[in-house]
Formats: sequence, C-alpha cells, structure tokens
Amino acid sequence: MWFYALKRAGATLVTLVAASVLVFAFIHLIPGDPIYVLLGDTATPDQVEALRHQLGLDQPVVLQYFRWVGDALQGNLGESIFFQAPVLHVIADGAETSIFLALITMVWVVIIGVPIGMIAAMRKGTWLDQGFSGAAMLMASVPTFWVGLYLILIFAATLGWLPSSGHGTIAHAVLPTSGGLANLRYLLLPSIALAAPNAALILRLTRASMLDVSREDYVRTAQAKGIRPWQVVSRHILRNALLAVVSAFGFTFAALISEAVVTETVFALPGIGRLVVQSVLRRDYPVIQGIILVIVVLYLVINLLVDLSYRLLDPRVELE
Amino acid sequence: MKSSLRMLTRTAAAMATAMFLTSQASAAGMFREATIGEPPPLDVMLTTADVASTIGAHIFETLYAYDSSFVPQPMLAESDKLEDDGKTIVITLRQGVMFHNGKELTAEDVVASMKRWGEFGARGKLLMGNATSVEATDKYEVTLKLSAPNGAWKTLISDVNGGLGIYPAEIASAAGGEPIAQKDYIGTGPYKFKEWRPNRYVELEKFADYKPRSEEASGFAGARIADFDTIRFIPVPDVGTRVSGVQAGDYEYAEMISGDLYDTLSADPSVVIQRRGTPLFGLFFMNSKEGILKDNFKLRRAIQMALDKSQALRVSFGPEGLWTAQGSVFPEGNYFYSTAGTEAYSQHDPEGAKKLAAEAGYDGTPIRLLVSTNYQAHYDQATVFTQQLAEAGINVQMIVVDWATLLKMRGQAEQWDIFVTHHGFQPDPALFTFMNASYPGWWSSPEIEALRQELSVAVEPETRKAVWEKTQKLFYEQVPAMKVGDAYAYDIASPKVDGFAKNAEYRPRFWGLKFK
Repeated sequence: MWFYALKRAGATLVTLVAASVLVFAFIHLIPGDPIYVLLGDTATPDQVEALRHQLGLDQPVVLQYFRWVGDALQGNLGESIFFQAPVLHVIADGAETSIFLALITMVWVVIIGVPIGMIAAMRKGTWLDQGFSGAAMLMASVPTFWVGLYLILIFAATLGWLPSSGHGTIAHAVLPTSGGLANLRYLLLPSIALAAPNAALILRLTRASMLDVSREDYVRTAQAKGIRPWQVVSRHILRNALLAVVSAFGFTFAALISEAVVTETVFALPGIGRLVVQSVLRRDYPVIQGIILVIVVLYLVINLLVDLSYRLLDPRVELE
Repeated sequence: MKSSLRMLTRTAAAMATAMFLTSQASAAGMFREATIGEPPPLDVMLTTADVASTIGAHIFETLYAYDSSFVPQPMLAESDKLEDDGKTIVITLRQGVMFHNGKELTAEDVVASMKRWGEFGARGKLLMGNATSVEATDKYEVTLKLSAPNGAWKTLISDVNGGLGIYPAEIASAAGGEPIAQKDYIGTGPYKFKEWRPNRYVELEKFADYKPRSEEASGFAGARIADFDTIRFIPVPDVGTRVSGVQAGDYEYAEMISGDLYDTLSADPSVVIQRRGTPLFGLFFMNSKEGILKDNFKLRRAIQMALDKSQALRVSFGPEGLWTAQGSVFPEGNYFYSTAGTEAYSQHDPEGAKKLAAEAGYDGTPIRLLVSTNYQAHYDQATVFTQQLAEAGINVQMIVVDWATLLKMRGQAEQWDIFVTHHGFQPDPALFTFMNASYPGWWSSPEIEALRQELSVAVEPETRKAVWEKTQKLFYEQVPAMKVGDAYAYDIASPKVDGFAKNAEYRPRFWGLKFK
C-alpha cells in the first residue's frame, strides 16, 4: 500500500508539471490584456506600456513561467493583478466558501441520494420506485440556476426566512464578531440548489449498483440461508454497491468545489468557481494559474484517497 | 426517547432564533449596495471603471464637484482666480480638511496629486498636457500655469472618474503609474477604506473627523453628510439576485437593473426605482486609421443612413421610458444640447444608403464589426444594425469577443473597421472619448483638429457652445462614431432608506441618506 501511495505521488508530480505548463501556455495564448481591464476604457498606449513593464508582463513568457514556478516551489503563487493581494490569500478566501458549500451539499446528497436509492432498489418496479426514479430524472434535468432563483423567490423574497444571497465568514466561527455558525444560513439555499442534480445522480447510481449486486450468487446464498432481509441489504448488498457510489462521491465533491460557478453567481457567493471565471474575464494571470494548480492538486488528492478507500471497503481489492 | 426529541426540537428552535437575531443585528448601521461586479483597484486617477468611481467617490475628493445642474462647485477648493489671460490658475484650498491618516490637506498634496494625474491619470493629459508648471505658492494655495488657456479646466477636475482625486503627497509621489496599494487608499472623503475581501465586499467606514462643507447638498457638491456607520459594496453579478436581494432586505441598493424588469418593479412596493438622471449612449466607432472606412466619409454616412436606431434601442433596453432616440450628443435640457447635424441621426433609408455606398465606391467587401458579449446591449445593437445594413447591401462581418479581448484588439487598427462601446454622460465636450485623437478610432482631420484647438481655448460658455455645435455637425458629416441613442440605466433602493432624489445622480452616492 505504501509503495502504491508513493508511486501515485510520483505520477501526481508529473501531472502537476504538465498541467502548469499547459495552463501557463493557454492563458498567455488567449488574446486580451489585464492592463486594459485594470486601467479602463481611456488608457493611452503609453500608460498601458508603463504599467505592463512595472508588473513584469513585458518579459518573455518562458521567463515569466520559470519565475512563477520558482516562486510556487517556495509557496508563493504571486500577487493578483486585480486585487493587489497575494494569490494564496485570494484563493483561501474563495476556498472557504467553496469547501463549506461542497460539504453541506454533500450532506444533502448523501442523506437524500443513498437512502432513497436503496429504497428504490429494494422496491424495484413498484410505484415507489417509479416515483423516486421520476423525481430523480426531474431533479437532474432542471437547471441549477432555475432552482436557485425559485428558492430565493420563495424562501428569501417572499417568506424572508433565509438570506437571498451573500456569504458569511464560517472558518472563523469561534470569533465573537464573525456571526459564528449562524453564517451557515447563507449556504442553505445554494446547497439545496446544488444538491438537487447531484443527489439525483447518486440516487440513480445507488439504485443501479444495488440492483447489480443483488443479482450476485452470494446474495442469493445469503437469502437462502434465511438471513433477515435488512441484514442481507446492509451487510451484503449495500457494502459492495457502495464501491461505485464512493467513487462518485469523490468526483462530485471535487466538482462541487471547482465547478459550482452558476450557483455561486446566482447566490453571489465568493467561491472558487466564480473566482476562476471572473479571473479569466479579467485576465488576472496569477490568480488563474494559482487556482488551476490548486484544483489539479485537489483532483489528484481526492482520486488518490478514493482509490485508497477501496481497500478499506473491500479487502479483496489489491493496490498495486 | 420522547424527552430527547423534545430537547432536539428546543435546541433547533434556539439555533434558528439565534441565527435570525444575528442576521438582524449584523445589518444595524450598515448600508449594503449590490454592485454589478468586483471593482478594479480603487486608484481613481488611473481607472475609468464606473464601479471603482462609485466606491472611490466616497473615499477620495476632488477640488471641485458637480452640482445637480453639472456646474462645478468648490469641494476641496475654497476659491480660485485666473491670471495672465486665463493661462495661470490660482486655487485656494479649504483649511482644516483632514486626510484619513490624520494629516491636514495642504497645497503640497494637491501639487503631488496633479503631477501624478498629469503623467499617469486616465484624463490627466486633457488639462496637464498644456501645463508648464504646478506649484504650491502658499500652504493652502496652488498655482497652475498653462501654455494656453483651457476653458474646461474646472470641469476636468470635478469628478473622480479617471480624474484628479487628491491623495496625500507622499502616496501620490511614490506611486508612479502602478495602482496604489490598498493600505494607501487615503483620501479626505466622508468614508474611509476599511477592508476589501476579494469577491465578497469592499467595506468603508464613516470618517469621524470629516468636516462637511457648509453649503446645502446639490448633486455631488455641497455638504456630504455621512449617516451610515459602514457601507459595503458587494459584487452580485446576477441581476435577478440583485433584485431579490433588495426585495428580501439583504441589500439597501442594487445598481444596473435590466429593462425587462422595469414595469414589474415600478409596481412593486418593496423597492423604489432610481432612474439615473443622465443617459449613457452606445457608440459605434469607425476606424479612421486603417481599412475600408479610413477617410471614406461618404461610406460612413451611407452606413448611418441605413440604420433605424429606435429598433436597436427597443431591443437592447426594452420599455420606452428607459431610452430616447435622439441624435444630440448631449441630452435634451443640457446646456450643450443641439440639433446641429442630427437630421442624419436615424434615417433608416436602405435604398438611399445603397446608392450612397455605391457612390462611395463600396464593392461588398465585408466590414469587420468588433463587439463584445459582456455588454448585452452592445451585442443586441450590433445584431440589429448588421441586419439593417444587409438590407442596404452593406456586408457586415461581426467579430464577437469578450471585453478584455476587445479592449486589446481595438488598439490594433488592422483588426477591425467598427468597434462597439458606450459612453457615460459627460458635462463638457472636452471629455468625450471621440474628441481625443489618440483614442481608438483615431478621429483626425484638418477640420476636427481646428475645432479641437478652438474648443480648448474657448473660455466663455457661449463660445464653447458655438464651437461644440460646429463639432457636432462635423460629427455627422465625417461620422467618426455613430451614436445609438440615450439610454437611462436604473437602480433600485429599499423603501427603508430616506433621502434619495427623484432621479438618481449620474452615479450612485450614499452620503446624505439615512435609514427611516
């Protein structure tokens, strides 16, 4: 297992280098210029050139790349052109929202998707199964922004129970001035909007996996031995069906952090997804490079953890 | 089991109450504005981004400020006098004005700010380009010497948008062309910079030592009374969320609401409509440096002749209360309003245009129209015009890019023939971008150069207006840019806030307001 982990870490490093080269090259290949965005509509070519020089953007791209890599190896991802703040701070600020949003969403996804998927599988072909499957199809089909806007309309604008948008500092919940855990209320509506399609995916996956496993010989044997039905489900079917579902959890969690841009936009949440899109539009090169690097690392680490968790769920799995 | 359930219910109820109370308490004394996006750095001298100017105007002040009739009135200045036939301007400053760092404003600060603005400021060259010297001739007196009089000098230093915000001398001198750092956001305004959390908010707090002017508030001039403890500018890019946020009481103000919601929101008691008092207008710039439209004024007139501007305005802005199809560059009611040349504004004569284009030697070569999708109105107008021009046999090829790309491409004359942008209201002709020969489009001809010269030395308002009328006539003859029409943006406010004028200013400002 340790050899496997080391081997994967080596592969991760190679992937990281390749990703950094690609990201750097693509960002500098697309047209557009952060200086114009910074200075506005009326900047003269002289002003643009002066600021470009001051920010080091007039140097050869290869030189800029190696300088960036050198700094990154020392834990410095540079300074945002737009925010005039260290990229790590900018990313950390966005990551807080994204991580909490993803965690709360995952709670919804698990408590909705897995049990209902199980019930649908156990009641296959009944009206309950068809009802849940239909609902899952609907949840997966309705766009997140639409769900989000209706949640805002009902629970914020009409009933006034929850904030329509915005954020609250959560990581510093222990501080008396931060608003504490009450700030989690900002994430309730967006997490529900974001959970809808993902819970539907997990629901359908759980149902399909359980149906697959329930046809296995050992399940039939267990049933023939007279083991109670719930024991067959929990010990024999669910545990094996969860392998595929856990894998989906990993990808869903990573995607929730990096791709929740529509939900973040609708709810004005300062998350990573919105930050990356806005940074591309503003051509804030250091922030784009930093975020992509962090996201690549995130995907690789989650992948690694998911692979390692197979072994815990199923001792027969060999990690080589 | 039962008692556990009861305890759980009680705990949940207590948490919900605490969450509700926290949400209410956190808003006390805080005014929250939902902006359309994140501002660039708040160095108002360098940037012309509206969102930066809106925030920056609360921190930094100018020597003069526009009143509600767009007449510059003293702000940091106390008085002024002109000498040497208008070539020497002596400005006396108000005494006892404090910066946010506790230092008193003196002439040295104004001189350092003027020098930096002249060298790096977005609009600095318009005044300082002709400056021969700027000196502190007394602790509270600044003397600016010009090589020729400038009739618009006061107008040019009355707004923060790319304008002469006054910074402490040590900050202005050290900054150079790079935007000043957040720790140096130190001005003399009624609010001071507190915190900027990327993508979350920019927060300002009331400046306790601010001494408002004694005159009654009018527009951006006069007394600036700060009532809110803090103001938060929160980027909320989705317009639906901005609207719901004000309706739900999460924001007190939301800017730039879309036209299709105007009728609905006008009847909604949970919001107050704030239609901007001045229009902005779309501009389709012609390339005067390279390509098929260079010097071909007849072909440009043919293009304009083919267009129905009302149709484009209806498509891009919706209800008729939000736009006016009129050709004067200045809106009706403004001192510089004029109908000179405007008969050519929106003729919608495809046959006439076809004939004129043929006379101009047009052979069907595609005309490259550079437009961005970041501003939906730009794209809508370009689409409508492309169709209308096709009816006149004029072949337009749209090049659709994002705004950052457009800003770069428009500086490369070989890349485009027409590009689309818009212009905010300006109180003086000297401030229009097309009056600047180095602005992309590069309008330059012996006629306009002569008029620019005439305008720059015209001091009396009547003389300036006469020169402007000739300029507008030429604007329709040489067509350096086509005006689409006047569009009035609108914002919405919470009815719980008192002090809004019937029509909003040309830019939102939050002093002089209070909670009811």
